[in-house]
Amino acid sequence: MQFRLEKRREPSKLMSYATPVAAVLLTMVLGAVIFSVIGYDGIGAVREIFLTPLTNSYKWQDLGVKAAPLIIIGVGLSIAYRANVWNIGAEGQYIVGGLAGTGIALLTWGMTGWWILPLMVLAGMLGGMAYASIPALLKTRLNVNEILTSLMLTYASVQLIYYLIRAPWKDPMGMGFPQTRLFSEAARLPTIIPGTIVHLGVPIAVLVGLVAWFIMSKSVFGYRMRVVGAAPHAARYGGFSENRTIWLAMLVSGGLAGLAGVLEVAGPFQRMVPGFPTNYGFTAIIVAFLGRLNPLGVIVAGVVLAITFVGGEVAQTTIGLPNAATGIFQAMMLFFLLAGDILIKYRLRRVMPQATAGTA
Amino acid sequence: MDLMLAILITVVGASTPILIAALGELVVERSGVLNLGVEGMMLIGAIAGFVVQFHTGNSYLALLAGAGAGVCASLIFGFLTLSLSANQTATGLALTIFGTGFSALAGSSYSARPVTLMRPLFPAEFAASPFTKVLFGYSFPVYFAFIMVAAIWYFLHRTRAGLILRAVGENDQSAHSIGYSVIGVRYMAVMFGGAMAGIAGACFPLLLTPQWAERMTAGRGWIAVALVVFASWKPFRLLAGAYLFGLVMTMELYAKAGGGPLSVIPSELWAALPYLATVAVLVLISIRRDASTNAPACLGKPFLPSN
Repeated sequence: MQFRLEKRREPSKLMSYATPVAAVLLTMVLGAVIFSVIGYDGIGAVREIFLTPLTNSYKWQDLGVKAAPLIIIGVGLSIAYRANVWNIGAEGQYIVGGLAGTGIALLTWGMTGWWILPLMVLAGMLGGMAYASIPALLKTRLNVNEILTSLMLTYASVQLIYYLIRAPWKDPMGMGFPQTRLFSEAARLPTIIPGTIVHLGVPIAVLVGLVAWFIMSKSVFGYRMRVVGAAPHAARYGGFSENRTIWLAMLVSGGLAGLAGVLEVAGPFQRMVPGFPTNYGFTAIIVAFLGRLNPLGVIVAGVVLAITFVGGEVAQTTIGLPNAATGIFQAMMLFFLLAGDILIKYRLRRVMPQATAGTA
Repeated sequence: MDLMLAILITVVGASTPILIAALGELVVERSGVLNLGVEGMMLIGAIAGFVVQFHTGNSYLALLAGAGAGVCASLIFGFLTLSLSANQTATGLALTIFGTGFSALAGSSYSARPVTLMRPLFPAEFAASPFTKVLFGYSFPVYFAFIMVAAIWYFLHRTRAGLILRAVGENDQSAHSIGYSVIGVRYMAVMFGGAMAGIAGACFPLLLTPQWAERMTAGRGWIAVALVVFASWKPFRLLAGAYLFGLVMTMELYAKAGGGPLSVIPSELWAALPYLATVAVLVLISIRRDASTNAPACLGKPFLPSN
């Protein structure tokens, strides 16, 4: 018995929903096998990474807090990737957004007022947009590859954190630690459920996802992004300028990454520290793809990736699985998803062995 | 004079892994495939090379292990993008994320365990005077990188196999219709790129810092990808580009070590310089209009035979 790939007349809707689910399930099965083979408790690892965060209600607040930045950044990236604009420097835009918010928090240190947080959020979004506008400018003016420039700027932004917290922004009372002082009360993101760590960023993330879904499916902007990505020639014929689309895609994804950055620094961190770059910007790439570049899908995918982060920490303490295992599980999900993509455009057809006439 | 020699030797060391990785990626891209997983394959090569060096002490075996590990990693990419025609950009990114996680897991029990650096290729008598030391004082990968520059140029422009590889990268449909296996050629190129990235990764513990550290390649794989664009897909220009970057990185080392006019600028700026220089170089190359026209015509596009 043999199988053959046959092109479908139309891309399969069913498969585009089924492959992300299948990718997660396959990762769990194959992950258990691989980790058992290399000498860990494979089944335990899968149980702790994928199930414990869901069954243990104490972990739900962690899930929300981890999922929020992944969803916010992932939504922005899903819009950019839809338009075939490959912003992979979201981590850098997240960092600059966090730094811009930190700048406002330090300027207003000791002050009170309701306006401080909104100002920080605005600064964060503008910071992310400004950093994303460098690759956008270079791409539209000089046709420089945005993948490479946005990524190189990420590496540079990490050094910018180190410089700022080592010299001009260093906490004067910090006993020489490279970090800023703790933000004042007015510059900290409030928690929305008393007694938990769930902060205002969590509902904001859900809101961002819903609004983006509405805009992408119902507005001219969304139509433009989808057309430019799917059929660039038709888009040009229809009068959508390619450069304008690149700018919009970079500014939206950069601004949202900056928003995630400022919410992180004002929420969980409450000061700028060397450990601020947490790779959310890179993980959000997986989130965007796993969510099928659809904002609603991104919300679900953000929770799935948050589960693996929280579960990875659980597995570290309970069964001694190294932290790096989480990254492997996440990459495996993306591999399976990309491999499964072929089933959207093609179908597997069983090829019967040719029954030749005249044989006994 | 002694300082100049020391700087020169450091530049050679810093340039070699970038050059080797970029040469591999150049061949991959000439066949029409864009593999953005160089950084991930380098990390996998680095940990494989480190482990073999740690347990056997045989540096040549360590390089071979790096190459083998790089080929294995590249086959994941090859299978997804060539056999299943998955999106090359996304798959390359996934490979880098995977390589980062895999190398961190494999290396988790090896942190803070030193290995010995690879020994120079030529006997010590050859490198007795300062002048001969600059020529004969390096270990095997440095000479390997130089030889590969010439070898890859010769392969691409003077051999039949190289012509087929370029044809596949420039016009896959035509190459297919006159009977060449587009997918087969691309598999070979991707595996070669994997081997070179693996060797380049193994150079980090063998030539630069004799230990394992997570993410020890620190974005050099991405710089290698950028250099291929900078070099307009030409091997000898790659040589110049890699040594330019080696110089920038060496300046960072000397600035951090302190002293001299270099330390006026904050060390973080020096550390950011290779990445900013990459952006600057990409800008410069784009201003010269001919650069992008030299890109292989089928770069990054999946091949599906039209008949």
